Formats: sequence, structure tokens, C-alpha cells
Amino acid sequence: MRGKVTEIVKPAVQLRNVSKSFGGNVALSPLSLTIKRGETVALVGPSGSGKTTLLNIMATIIKPDRGEVIIDGVPSQNLKPGRELSRKVGIIHQQLDLVDQLPVIHNVLAGRLGEWGICRSLLSLMIPQDKELAFKALNRVGLIDKSHQRTSRLSGGEQQRVALARLLVQRPQAVLADEPVSSLDPARAEDLLAMLTDLVREENQTLIASLHAVKYARRYFSRIVALRQGRVFFDRPVSDVSDDDLARLYDLKEDADAQALL
Amino acid sequence: MHRPFYETHNRAILSVLLVTAFIWSLFSVEWGGNLFHDGGIVTILQIVKAMFNPDLSPRLLKLALVSSWRTLAYAVAGMTLAVIIAFLLGTLASGILVEGRWSRRFSAGLFRALLGFMRAVHELVWAWLFVAAAGLSPFAAIFALAIPYGGTLGRILADIINDVPPEPVRALRAAGAGRVQVLFYGYLPMAMADMVSYVMYRFECAIRSAAIMSFVGLGGLGYQIQISLADLKYNEVWTFIFFLIGLVVLVDLWSMRLRRGLVS
Amino acid sequence: MKGDTTGKIVAISGMSITKTSIILALVLITASWGFILTSEGASLSEYFSAGNLYHTKKFLASMFGLDGGKPAFFSAESWSNALKLTYETLKMSVMAIGFTGIGMLLTVIPASRSAADGSITLRSTWYGWLVFGLIRLLYIFSRAVPELVWAMIIIFVFKPGILPGAVALALHNFGILGKLCAEVVEDLDWQPIRALRSSGAGTVQILTYGILPAVTPKFITFLLYRWEVIIRTTIVVGFVGAGGLGQQFRLSMSWFQYTEITLLLICYFLLVVGSDMVSGLLRRITQ
Repeated sequence: MRGKVTEIVKPAVQLRNVSKSFGGNVALSPLSLTIKRGETVALVGPSGSGKTTLLNIMATIIKPDRGEVIIDGVPSQNLKPGRELSRKVGIIHQQLDLVDQLPVIHNVLAGRLGEWGICRSLLSLMIPQDKELAFKALNRVGLIDKSHQRTSRLSGGEQQRVALARLLVQRPQAVLADEPVSSLDPARAEDLLAMLTDLVREENQTLIASLHAVKYARRYFSRIVALRQGRVFFDRPVSDVSDDDLARLYDLKEDADAQALL
Repeated sequence: MHRPFYETHNRAILSVLLVTAFIWSLFSVEWGGNLFHDGGIVTILQIVKAMFNPDLSPRLLKLALVSSWRTLAYAVAGMTLAVIIAFLLGTLASGILVEGRWSRRFSAGLFRALLGFMRAVHELVWAWLFVAAAGLSPFAAIFALAIPYGGTLGRILADIINDVPPEPVRALRAAGAGRVQVLFYGYLPMAMADMVSYVMYRFECAIRSAAIMSFVGLGGLGYQIQISLADLKYNEVWTFIFFLIGLVVLVDLWSMRLRRGLVS
Repeated sequence: MKGDTTGKIVAISGMSITKTSIILALVLITASWGFILTSEGASLSEYFSAGNLYHTKKFLASMFGLDGGKPAFFSAESWSNALKLTYETLKMSVMAIGFTGIGMLLTVIPASRSAADGSITLRSTWYGWLVFGLIRLLYIFSRAVPELVWAMIIIFVFKPGILPGAVALALHNFGILGKLCAEVVEDLDWQPIRALRSSGAGTVQILTYGILPAVTPKFITFLLYRWEVIIRTTIVVGFVGAGGLGQQFRLSMSWFQYTEITLLLICYFLLVVGSDMVSGLLRRITQ
């Protein structure tokens, strides 16, 4: 079938000569990048290298100054915010983007808001709609017994898992994650990344995550894109990335901290 | 060290300014014995003495109880409308329901001005306007309460909404939520606790305001106080005043407990 | 992490008070509206009836001077009279907030829990607690009685003028401001004050060097905020003969001089808006 053929050809996210600066500070120099469907890509690089800006541009939260962003074959400016966009990309930020005051289940079901009309979403605050979907997602992240607790009463790691459950309910084609584990301790960070990458593979989604610690990138992702000063420093499959590459990326050859990061 | 010094300096000047303004205001009164009514001092002594001897006859207590309920009922009714007004106008005044920077500013400016106008005029003046325009009706008092209280609450709601952390809102938008959905799933849950404490605080004020609606002919504690004063029955006056105090204190206790429950 | 800050709202014990409050609120709302719509005979359709609409139109027309005669707001004489009253009202409000402030300053230290429990004097005495309780009781008493009721009582003693109005306003606001300011004193950081004491400062020195500078900004903010409220209320105490715009308002009302009332309302509105702006400006200076 023709449709199927184009689908295989269409990249999940494609950036063409995208640049962005904030008040004179260049965040991204003209940068091009193509990410195929089903890839799990880690964005690494020193802080200020443009990782967050890049993710926000892919999520169409920020508009680039110049260049083209094509998501699943559609130029980003043609994507309607709301339902259409929420099916293409979903994003988790390093700050937990949950509404603390709501019970967990409503934060999870917020992933359905793009599908629901206003009436249904208001009704859901009283009688949760699409409950099975939420329970399935919560079960998958291991929080089924906390579904009716106030979100603020959960630990940081649990809250990140609620955000994951919301993504599960939203089911976007591409998942963007901005430092998803930077606020967690190492053990929990590993748990969460394992869960995240597993889920993405199960659903055949694309994952693009910015990471502070490169060791996670090597363990859980298939491809590493390194940014430095708003440019692609290197971009290759995980198996081809050497310690030397990373040390040059961080300019920290002699520093003991660099060893810790790797 | 320079900045703190400058700041205290500023405050000192301001304090002097305020004190001067107060002294200036005192000059407008011709001080002397002519300030009091003949027998005014005697009257005040009688009033104070009556305070320790309020009229506690069953008839009056029953009247006071009924009047308290009436005052409370009007305060509640006024507040119900005020909260609805505040919700509608406050969300519009926060500007979150419209897209684009300029339409946002326009919406916020327009509705903030409207809320400002509503609360600039005292509830009793509103009451008088309503009564003069359409005659005495319970609705005159309820609307008169609801307008300035709605104005204040609406402004507060708009302020709280504008101060809400932006990240969860952005996340909801990214998850595909529309403006109204973001309001109910993000802004309102986050604004709820602060808003509830403020509504409770204003409810206490609404009780006093409902009491003084007697001036446009509404029954209740204020009305009874007015009548008893006119009849020079100071013992009765104090009974009603104590009931009013009791009502205010009860609401105060409730709101204190609720606030503690919300914050702890 | 966000959960650590104000997020942890509603502890388990808080849940019950929240639920009780919701039920209580619903009961109150139903009962109140039920009472007003039945026993009080309130009828919305009657209120918005054709007859009332006619009255409203006529009333508005007479307020805007459309029913013949020269409207007061086009007469220079009326304007000068109204502006004089506005000026008087302004003085009344300043006097009122002045009295309030003096009353507050005289009582606020013993009215703070910190004074009673010995944080200031290092001694907790039974009479400290007694004075604390008495003043707090006085605060409750003072603020629970509306300005207008205070004015009605005061007017028995004073001859009409702006002084009784100012006193009535001060009596009510004394309780509110006192409570607000006493809480400011209670929330003070006592560490520097203990340090002052240990370096041998007396009570007066502690007050002037330790407490006063720390509380002044908040006190001024609260004073200005209450002044804004007082300005709005001046017109109301005037109704019972306590001078200013309100008194004239009442007189014009009983003589059905509606254009006069419009003029007074314009002046009142300008006064409120103007004082809000001045107060906002002064508050920004103290920040």
C-alpha cells in the first residue's frame, strides 16, 4: 500500500537549518537533524548547549527564528495546537509539570484532554472518564494504588511516573523528555529510564531525551546526538561513541568529575 | 550596606509624611467643648453601662436569633452571587481565555477596569441606587452585596491565576488541552486553596455588610439595632450587637480552622 | 521539587474539615436562598417587571438630569460645594486612619503573643497573658461592629461633623489593624532581638532598634491598605450625620435632588480612585 510506504520514509522529526537566539545569545546555530521513527535518541552536551531549546522547538513550544521543523511529515506551523499536535508529540520537562492539587487520576487523564470536548472534561472531574485507560497506565508505571491520592503527596520519583502515565494515555507518536531524571537519585533514575525506554519500544514510539549524565545515554538509548554551543558536535549510534568523544565534548579530560559523568 | 540604608531613609520620610497629614487633618476640627451634644457625656455613660447589662429576656433573644439568621442568610446569598461573578469576570480579567498578547491585554484591561469600578463603590451606595431605581426588594440588598464583593474577589482570583506556576499549564497545553480545559484542570485547582481562604475572609465582612443593609430597609440585626437606638433602649442595642459579634466570631473560627486545614 | 513547598496541602486531618466545610457551605447556601425566595418573598420576575423597568428608566433619567432643570453637575457652585465636601471627606479619612494607627501602636506590643510568652521581655507573667487576652478581646469587639453602627452610637455624643465620622471609622478599623499588626510582631525573627538583649539593651532600646525597623514596612502597608477601605466607607458613615460627602448625599436623597447625587457620586468615585493610586504609589516606595 502506498500509505505504508510513505510512512516508513517519513521521519518522525526533521529539523532543517533551524536557528534560535534569545536577546543576542545564540541558543542554536543553524542546525539540521533527522530522527527516524522508533529511534531512541539521547541529547547530551554541557549545560547551555541548547538541549532544552531544541526540545522545546520540536514540541513547538518555541518557534525557531529561522529554518523548518517537520513533524511526521507536516511542517510544524501547519500543526494545530490541541488534539492534532498532542497526538504527534508529547513532552516531559525536568520540572514536574503536574498539577499538585489534583488527584493523580486527573493528572493522568489530562493526557486525554486533546480528545475530549469541554463538557466531557468537566464531567470527568466529577466522574472520571476513560477510567480503564488511566488504570492501565497507572498499573504499567506501578502506581495503581495511588490513583486517588493528591499528586502533591507523592514522592518526586512517583510524580515523574505519573507524568509517564499521562504520556501513556496521550499516546503521542514521539515522546520528548527534557532532563527526565535530573531530580532523581541514581537508583530511581535508572528505574525511570528503563521504564521509559521500555514503554516507548512497546508502543513503537520515538523517544528524544536530553540527559545530563552520559552513562544513562549509553545504557538506554540507541543514538546519541551531542550538542555544543548550539551546534551538533557529533551524532552517531551509541556503539560508535568513544570515551574520547565524550571527554572532548565536556572539555574535562583531566577532571575527575568527567569520569563520574561517563 | 548602601541599599538598606536608603530604604530605611525612604520609610522614615514616608512616616513623617503620614504623621504630618494626620496633624493637618486635626486642624479641620474646632477643638473645644462645643464638640459634644448637651448631655452627650451622660448618654455615653448610659450606653457603656448598658453594655454590661444587655437585655436577655426570652422575647428579645428570640428576636435576636431570628434577626441573626436573616442577616446570615443575606450574607450567604450575596456571597454566592459574588463568587459566581468573581469566577466569570475574574477569569476574563486574568486574560488566560484568549490567545495572543494584545487580545490578552485588552481582555485583562477591560475586565480589570470593570472589577475596579464594581468595588470602588461601597455596597450601601449600590444598595441605595438599586432601591431608588427599582424599589425595595431582597434582591436589591443581594445585588448590592454581590457587586462590590464580586469585584474584590474577581480581582483576587485574576491575581492568583496570573501568579500560578507556568510549567503545569504549559504541560497541559502540550497534552492537547484547550483554554477552557486548562482553566479547569490547571488554573482553578492551583488557585483553589488561596481563593477559598479569601472567600472565607470576605464572608466574615459580608455578614457586617448584610447587617448594615438595614439602611435601605432590610430586616436583620442592623435594623433591630437601629430601632432600639432610636427608642433609646441601649440594653437591647447591646444584645443585638453581641449577637452580631457572635456571628462574626463563629465565621472567623470556621475560616481559621478551614485555612489551617488547607495549608497544613 | 515542587511537592515540598506549599504543595503538601490538606493533611489527613485537614481532609475532614474540608469536607465538613463543603457540606456546611452547601447547607447554608440552600437554606439561605430557600429562606429568601420563600419567607422573604423575593421574586426575580417581579424585580425585573415592566413597572420596575419604567421606574429605573425614570430614575436614571433624573440622575443624568434629563427630566428638565439645570443638572447640578453643570453648575459651578455645586461643583465647588461638592469639591469642598470631598476635601472634608479626605480629611476625615486621614484623621480616621491616624486615630486607628495611634490606637494600634499603643496596644500592638502587649497584644502580640510574643510579648505575653516572654519573647520580648524574657519574662512570661500572668498579667502579661491577661493584658494580651483583654486587648485581643477588644480587637474582636471593635472589628465585629460595623462602622455604621459605631457611627450611629457616636453620633449620640458628638455633634455632626467629620470628627464623629473619623472616630466611628477608627473604632472599627482599630480591631482589624490591631490584629493584622499583632500578627506581624508575632511573625518577627526573634534571633536578632535576643542578640540585642544579650548585649545589654533595655526594653525601650529593643523596641526602637530591634522591633520598630523590622515591622515598619508591613505596618505602613497595612495602614495604607486600611486607608483605602476607609475612603470607600467615609460616604457610609456620613449617612448618619457624620459629615462629608455622605451627609450631603443623604440630604440630597431626601430632597430628591438626583443630579446633585450624581455629582456627589462622581466626586466620591474620583476620591476612591485617586486615593487608590496615591496609596499604591506610597506602598511601592516602602517596598
